[in-house]
Order: sequence, then structure tokens, then C-alpha cells
Amino acid sequence: MAPLTADVHHRSGSSSLSKKRSEMASQRRFRLLDNNVIFFLSLSAMLHCAVADGRTLVLLDNLNIKDTHSIFFRSLADRGFDLTFKTADDPSLSLIKYGQFLYEHLVIFSPSVEDFGGNINVETITSFIDGGGNVLVAASSDIGDALRELGSECGVEVDEEKTAVIDHHNFDVSDPGEHTLIVADPANLLKAPTIVGNPTDKPVLFKGVGMVADPENPLVLDILTGSSTAYTYFPDRPISQYPHAVGKNTLLIAGLQARNNARVVFSGSLDFFSDAFFNSAVQKATPGSQRFEQTGNMELAEALSRWVFKEAGVLRVGAVTHHPVGELSPPAAYTITDLVVYSIVIEQLTEGRWVPFDGEDIQLEFVRIDPFVRTYLKKNGGEYSVQFTLPDVYGVFQFKVDYNRLGYTHLYSSTQVSVRPLQHTQYERFIPSAYPYYASCFSMMAGLFVFSIVFLHMKDKEKSD
Amino acid sequence: MDRSRLFGAFLFSLCLAGAQALSPAHHLSLADVDRLQNLLSQPFTDLESAYYSVVGLSKLGANIPDHDGVCQFIKSQLDPTSVDSVFFAAEASQAISGCEIPVSNETRDILLAAVSEDSTMTQINRAVSALASLGLPLASQEAVGALTARINKEDNVMAITSALQTAARLSQEAELGGILEEIEDLTARLDDLGGIYLQFEEGLEATAMFVTAAYSLSDHVDMEPPLKEDQVIQLVNSIFSKKSWDSLSEAFSVASAAAALCTNRFHVPVVVSAQGPATVSHSQPTLQLLVTDVMSQPLDYSKVLVESAYSVASKSIIFTQAPFTLNDGVFELNFMSTQPASGYYQFTIAVTGDSRLVANHVELKVKVSTEVAVTTMDLSVVDKDQSIGTKTSRVDYPSKSKTIFTADGHQNFAMTFQLVDVNTGVELTPHQTFVRLHNQKTGQEVVFVAEPDAKSLYKFELDTAERKSEFASISGTYSLCLIVGDATLENPILWNVADVVLKFMDEEAPATIQPKTLYVPKPEIQHLFREPEKKPATVVSNAFTALILSPLLLLLILWLKLGANVSNFSCSPSTVLFHVGHAAMLGLMYVYWTHLNMFQTLKYLAIIGGVTFLAGNRMLAQKAVKRIEKK
Repeated sequence: MAPLTADVHHRSGSSSLSKKRSEMASQRRFRLLDNNVIFFLSLSAMLHCAVADGRTLVLLDNLNIKDTHSIFFRSLADRGFDLTFKTADDPSLSLIKYGQFLYEHLVIFSPSVEDFGGNINVETITSFIDGGGNVLVAASSDIGDALRELGSECGVEVDEEKTAVIDHHNFDVSDPGEHTLIVADPANLLKAPTIVGNPTDKPVLFKGVGMVADPENPLVLDILTGSSTAYTYFPDRPISQYPHAVGKNTLLIAGLQARNNARVVFSGSLDFFSDAFFNSAVQKATPGSQRFEQTGNMELAEALSRWVFKEAGVLRVGAVTHHPVGELSPPAAYTITDLVVYSIVIEQLTEGRWVPFDGEDIQLEFVRIDPFVRTYLKKNGGEYSVQFTLPDVYGVFQFKVDYNRLGYTHLYSSTQVSVRPLQHTQYERFIPSAYPYYASCFSMMAGLFVFSIVFLHMKDKEKSD
Repeated sequence: MDRSRLFGAFLFSLCLAGAQALSPAHHLSLADVDRLQNLLSQPFTDLESAYYSVVGLSKLGANIPDHDGVCQFIKSQLDPTSVDSVFFAAEASQAISGCEIPVSNETRDILLAAVSEDSTMTQINRAVSALASLGLPLASQEAVGALTARINKEDNVMAITSALQTAARLSQEAELGGILEEIEDLTARLDDLGGIYLQFEEGLEATAMFVTAAYSLSDHVDMEPPLKEDQVIQLVNSIFSKKSWDSLSEAFSVASAAAALCTNRFHVPVVVSAQGPATVSHSQPTLQLLVTDVMSQPLDYSKVLVESAYSVASKSIIFTQAPFTLNDGVFELNFMSTQPASGYYQFTIAVTGDSRLVANHVELKVKVSTEVAVTTMDLSVVDKDQSIGTKTSRVDYPSKSKTIFTADGHQNFAMTFQLVDVNTGVELTPHQTFVRLHNQKTGQEVVFVAEPDAKSLYKFELDTAERKSEFASISGTYSLCLIVGDATLENPILWNVADVVLKFMDEEAPATIQPKTLYVPKPEIQHLFREPEKKPATVVSNAFTALILSPLLLLLILWLKLGANVSNFSCSPSTVLFHVGHAAMLGLMYVYWTHLNMFQTLKYLAIIGGVTFLAGNRMLAQKAVKRIEKK
């Protein structure tokens, strides 16, 4: 009941929601309204700040993972996600019903799955991502073909089943013997606080399969890489061919933000999210290395889940205004070389609220096919603004803010304006080099005037004489 | 003869391995027990949490601090009219010494009245438990009747578990057989998850309480519970896999189940784990095992025996039937005395000494590790056409070569080395023998796998012409590192051997599209305004202006000479109006040039022109009249 009402409230409270979901919500709303209108209204008033609205499907290898990874799931539930746990081969699984997505987020903690149950398969998951859904995938050394296929769809090539990331130089003291319990240095994390959280010196424990990023796919993010000495191979077989990933190319955690802002995170390790790794102490096995009482796994996992489920790094465009300097409203058309003020409000989602975004490097482009002007916007109270002179070229232009930064959703705003040439009264009237022409005109006019007076009023002396 | 016996033993061990594959994957480590205790030691707020804390801690065998304070708290919170309250208080007071709960007759009557088939199962359970704890008499057979009746009404796991618990508090003379059968029925309801876990879908608490209840009832009636060994291990796995407990009651249930699994009379699961990693080496020749129960308490009375041990690589049996010796709570075996080669060994270990032990045949992978040394590291640059003799230079670990090697497209860089076991002198072929070239300027790294030949001599040759694509044809100084590692090596090597300058023949421009530049600001663009055209010198135009104005001047001068005059000018309004209008029209032309557009101009011109036309007409008429008058 409580997640339902939170769900419905969000629709009524915010306008930036997709239509298809709001239809479904309104069906629910009617059902609820039947029950108890006042209760619902008061609840919705109470839940005013609860924006994190996420129906999340969690696919597990077996339901015991719910217990072994309880801290992670509890942190999701505490943040307002409505988690539905299913085993990955449950025959009743479905992501899409009547053409609508039943969930906004998908957690796949079922590395070994070969075929998903119900009507979920790799194609439906990719179309879920294409539809804007966010997916968190955790693999392990017994990875099935389904997840490997899903990985290649997202530009992440996962190594074969039974392989593991091995690092003989950076393994934990509690490693059971194959040097696959890896201590990942936080220096190998992506430098993007929105994705990985605030920098810490706590190392991360990892045990699982390695990945490489598809070099053709520029959207794949190397969230956590292995160290130079890491590689991925079968731990129990001698190396007979070049390993799938070697050194810093070995991805332990990869991310992807698609062009539609859907986010996907692949972790090579399911144990990475486990209670055991969250609570464990960590120390490299090399003599004299520092011991940390707790791993950085919990913080990293929480930051990753915040990012992948769109709680962090989400931007939106607010009001956009532009006008000539000294005026208040935009004209029907600007004239070339006008001095123009452009301002835009950009907001960031923080703790479920939209607050003004604080960025240093937001750029405005003035574009007619190609950009003519590209300049930085300066923060000015709650909005960003800049004053600049329009180029001396006329045509149909756009004010374009195209802000694409690591860890943030792609922010795009374009406003079309036309720029016309000078009117004929706006040209320079008296050009020094053309003075002879003006002089000839004016002397002619003066001559005409004087001549007309003289001609009309001259007294002929001879006649009068 | 000898071989066939060995083979037989091997087969036997394999069979054993098949049969006994399941061993507890999860248990409460000492750290887990500590955390469980911490959770249960939280200050309690009401009688229920006091019950969970106190009884839970006593199940873990932990000290309960401040007995008197707890007793006071229980007494102050006790509500003698509520079955629940009396139950919590009675059970908690049992767990601490010297705390007696005063019971009135009224309370006893309420408790006895609750033992009927009209109460819920929980109520019956709590009433019976409270009566038993307070040492009050109870008609057991009646209680059995009530339980049996309730089981038929409340057919869920929690209720039946409560019934089992209740039965364990009743007199042994009562007919508990019917309730005992419920254990088997419940066992059939457990869900098997992947052959490793066995649990109720109601959750961890239900599973843990079932185990507690089943063993306490079995102990009570002294009949082995109908659980198979594998099932016990699967239950252990699912109860202890969760390491972070959501609530006090969940923690209590785990503590109770742990206590039941450690102390019951029928099944005690054994957890065999190596102390530290399961590794032996020349410096640490003994294999040390910890044999504990699920709460990590050592089972000192047990005997530990290696049934067989074979090498994973060669499948040859090393030894059989070797006992471990107990040394200060740790079972030890000097494995290195048999001089095993480095690698993995599969041990089958049997723990005996008590018929209750479950999962007492364990498979254990033991690693024999050693140390490696790099010998005969030779570096050379070889000309491809072999016209110049090669000059090799030898480098010793861990120093770095002083000479810097330079290889261009006509030369190969070559490196040979051998890896030997420090302890035995045998050549080794570790899992990881990589050669890493790291460009110091761009940070790019290229890794090659060095492969041994038949004599375990590693050769690495770098053909710069062939490999240029891997280096993206970027010439420069690369530091050459040798990385040697293996799970069985205690000293992995990361050795910066030398610096190598690589020169590629045709240097291509680096790829234009670099994916990571997607997220950085683009370069600023300032619009370049068109430069105004260069204008001719104003002197020229001024001179020509003067030249052009000169005819007007000439006109005026000539007119003066000719005696032009305006003596006929009469100040009639029409004349003045005409000339003013005329001047205004000319002025309008000027204003049109500077300010107005054509439509505005035409509007003004119409007004001024109309007036001027009329005034001109009038003026000309007057002039004509005058001229006619003169004639």
C-alpha cells in the first residue's frame, strides 16, 4: 500500500513523467480513491518529499541471495525503491505488459542464468534499456550466456565462464588460494564523484569475472579497472592463449549511459555487493601493506546504485530566456551584431529535490548548422547567463546548451531565433569617402531652391528700365 | 599389485568425494558471533526486546551484564494479566540467575485458561512455556489435545513450529508422537535452492525457528529427527548465509538455531577450515586446520584424519590415512615432509570422535607454494638481416639495466630468461609470465605473454615493424617490466628490467576520435567579425566635395555679377508658404535619407506636397495677374 501511494503521489506531484505510466497510475488512483480519499490525500501530503519512485525488478539465481546481500537491498528499500524479488527462471517474469514497462529499474543478480524465465530475454532487456530503463547487472565466474550476450549488446565483453580476474600482486590476505579475491585500489576508480561517490582511500574487494570495453563504443565507462598486474583467465589452466583482458584494460565494473540517458552498470562480481564483502576487513597479502577495518564496497555499491537508478547525476533544464541588452523581451527577429543576454536555469536532483546545479563548464553555442559562437556561461544567482554580440551573419540560428559530462545525464536545450541583416535605415548614412555624392545631391537641392526663388521673383531690369 | 591398491584407494576417494560433496558453506565466524552479540546487547525498550536480548545472549553463551538491573526491568514491566508479558518475563528471568517472578493465582489461572484450542497457537505456546518456566503444574495431555486441534486449524509453518516448541516443554509421558510427525511434514515443505540451501519461503526466521524447535523436541523425546545429513547442511547454509540481521527477533532466531545445532543430541555439523589460507610452503610446512561447530567453537574431542590426498595436476595419490595432531586447539599436519611439488592437492579429511558429527567428510584444496627466482636474464637487440652480431647484456634481479636499448623497424628486441624454484632448483612455468611495455609519456601499456620452450626457457621477441599497431605507432621510451605470478608463488615478481626506445617507421597521426573526449568542454569559439573595407583617404573625397560644391558657388558669383535679384518677392502668404513648403520637401528628402522609410516619407510628402501645390498654384496665379496688370 505504502509504495503504491508514493507511486501515485509522484505522478500528481511532478509533471515530467511519461504518459504511458501515468495512465497506469491513474487506473490505480481510481482504485485507491474508491477506498479512501482522505487517507490517500493526507498520505500524499505527508510523502511530499518522497520522490524516489522506482518499481524495481530484482532477478536472483536463488532467493537466498536476498539474505546474503541484505544490506544492499535494504539500502535500496530505505531509499524508496519498491523491490520485487523473483528468481531469474520464474515462468511468470515479464518486463513489458500491453506495451508498457512494468518496472523502471532492473537488477540482475543472477549470473549463471542461461535463459530467463517468462517473456524476458536479452532482446526485451535491450528494448527496456532503449525505453529508458536502468539496469544493474552483477556477474560472477559462473556466468551464463544470457548475461554475456547482454554485455555485448551494451559494449561490454565479458570473459568466458569459469574464468576469473587474477592478480598475484594485489590479492587479499583472506584469499582462499587462487589469488582471485582482489583488492582493487581506489586510484583505479573512474574520476567521477557522481558515479563512484566521494573519493576515499578504502580499497574495494572484488571476486569475479573480468570484462573489456568495446573500443567502438564510446559510451562505455571504465568505472573500476584492474591494476597493471591483473589479468583474466581460467585460474586452474595454464595460459595457452592471450588472456581476454590484461592489465588496466581489465574492467572490474563497467558502466554505460545510453544516448537516451538510460543507465547500465555491469559488475564482474556478485560478491562485491554481498554483506560479507561490505563488512569484511581488507588487507593486501604483500607484507607490510595497510589493513583497513572495512572495505569501500558499501560506499561504492551505494554510490553506483544511486547513479544507475538516477538518484545522482540527473540534470534538467528550467526557464530559458534571451533578449537584447537593455530590453526585457526577445524581439521577433534579432539584427546582426546585436548585444544579447542569454540565461538558462539548470537544476540537479539531490535527495529527491531539484536544486540549482553548480557547474563551472557549461557552454552556450550559437549555431547555424555550425556553431558561430561558443562561450562559457557564468553562474548568476540561480541561473547561468552570458552576454555576447551576435555574429554579422544572418539566418536562422539556435541558442544551444549541450552539456554532456561524465556522470550526468545529457542536458540539451535549443531555442531557435532568426537573425536578419540591417534594415536600410540602419546602415551608416554618411561615409566620408562618399562626401562628393552627398555634396552633389545637397548642392543640387540647394541650387534648386535658390534657383526657384530667383527664377520666380527676379525683376528684369531691362524691362523696367 | 601395489598399483591396483593405489588405484582402488583412488577410486574409493573419488566415490567418497561424490557422496560427501556437500559441506557447510556458511557458518558464524567469530566475527559474526561478535556482531550477533552486539546486536542482541542493545539496550532494550520493552519486555519483548528484553526477552530476545537476554535469551538470545544466553543461547550464544555470552555474559549478560547487570543481572539485577535486568531483573528490575522485567519486574517493573511485567503485566500479570497478559500471557505474552508473563511469557517474556518468565523466559528472560530463567536466563539470568537469582531472579524470581512473583506469580499470583490469578496469573496462573489466566495461563491455564490460555491452554485451550480456542486460543491461537502462539498463545498456547507462550502460556505453556511460561508455566513450564515458572515451574507450575500443567496437564500435558490436555495441552497436546489443544495443540493437535490448533494444528488442524492453523496450518502454517510458524504455527506448527510453535506447536513443536510447545511440545518440547510438555511432559515426556504425554503422547507427543502425533506432533513429532509434524517435523517430517514440515521438512517436506522446505524449498531446495540449487541443492545448497533449504529454507521456508516464509523467510529466515521461520527456517531458524523450525530448526530450533525440531531439535529441542527431538532432544526432549530422544528420537532422532527425520532430517538427512545433506538436509542439515543445507539448513545450516541457509540460516547462516545472512550476515546482517534486520531485527532483534531475526537475530534471536539465528542465535537459537546456532545453539540448537551445536548442542543437540543428534546432529552437530562440523566446519573444517584452514587457519589462514590453506597453504603450506618451506617456511610454513604444517597444514593447520580448525575444526569447529557452526559457532566457531573448536571441537577438541574430535580426531582428524586425512583419508587421502592427491595432486590436482597429476592425479597421483600422495598419501592416505595420515592423522592430524591436535596442538592448542589447532589440528596440524606436516605436509612438507613428503616433499610435494608446488601446486594444488585435494585432501579428503574425515573428522571422527562423536557419532553426532555431520558433514564430517570434507574435501579441502591445499596449496603448496614456493618461491621463484629469475635467472639468466639476457636482453639484446637483433638486426633482422643478421649482418651485425648481436650484443647481449645480462641483468640481475632486481636491478635495472643501465643500457638503454633502441629498436627501430629493422631490428627485433629480444629477451630470454629462466624461472627456477628457489628451494628445489627446478624450472618453473608460472601461470602469469607477462612482459609489459609502458610508455612513460602517454601512460599507454602493452602487455605480451612470454612463452616457454621445451626446456622451460622463456623467450620474448618484439618485432617492432609487426607490432606497431599494438603500440598505435607511437615512438618513444617504454619501460620494460617482467611480471611473474602464480597462485603457488609466495613472491610475485614485478621487475622493471630496462628502458627500451622503440622507433616506428611511419608514424601515423593519433586517431582523431578519442572516445573519452566526449565528456570534456569543447574549445571556445569567438566569432570573427568581418573587417570593414579599407576606405580611400578622406583628402581625396574632401577635395572632390569642394570641387562638386564649386558650381553652386560659381552660380551665385555669376548671378551677383549678372545682377540677379529677388526684388519681385512679395510677402504674400502663398509665396512664403510655397517656398517654405518647397524647402520642407527638400528637407524631407534629407530626413528620408537619414531616418524614415519610404511609406512614412510618402505620407509626409503628400501633406507637404499638397500644401505646396496649392500655395504654388496661388502664387503663380497672383504673378500672372500682376504680369497682366503691368501690360
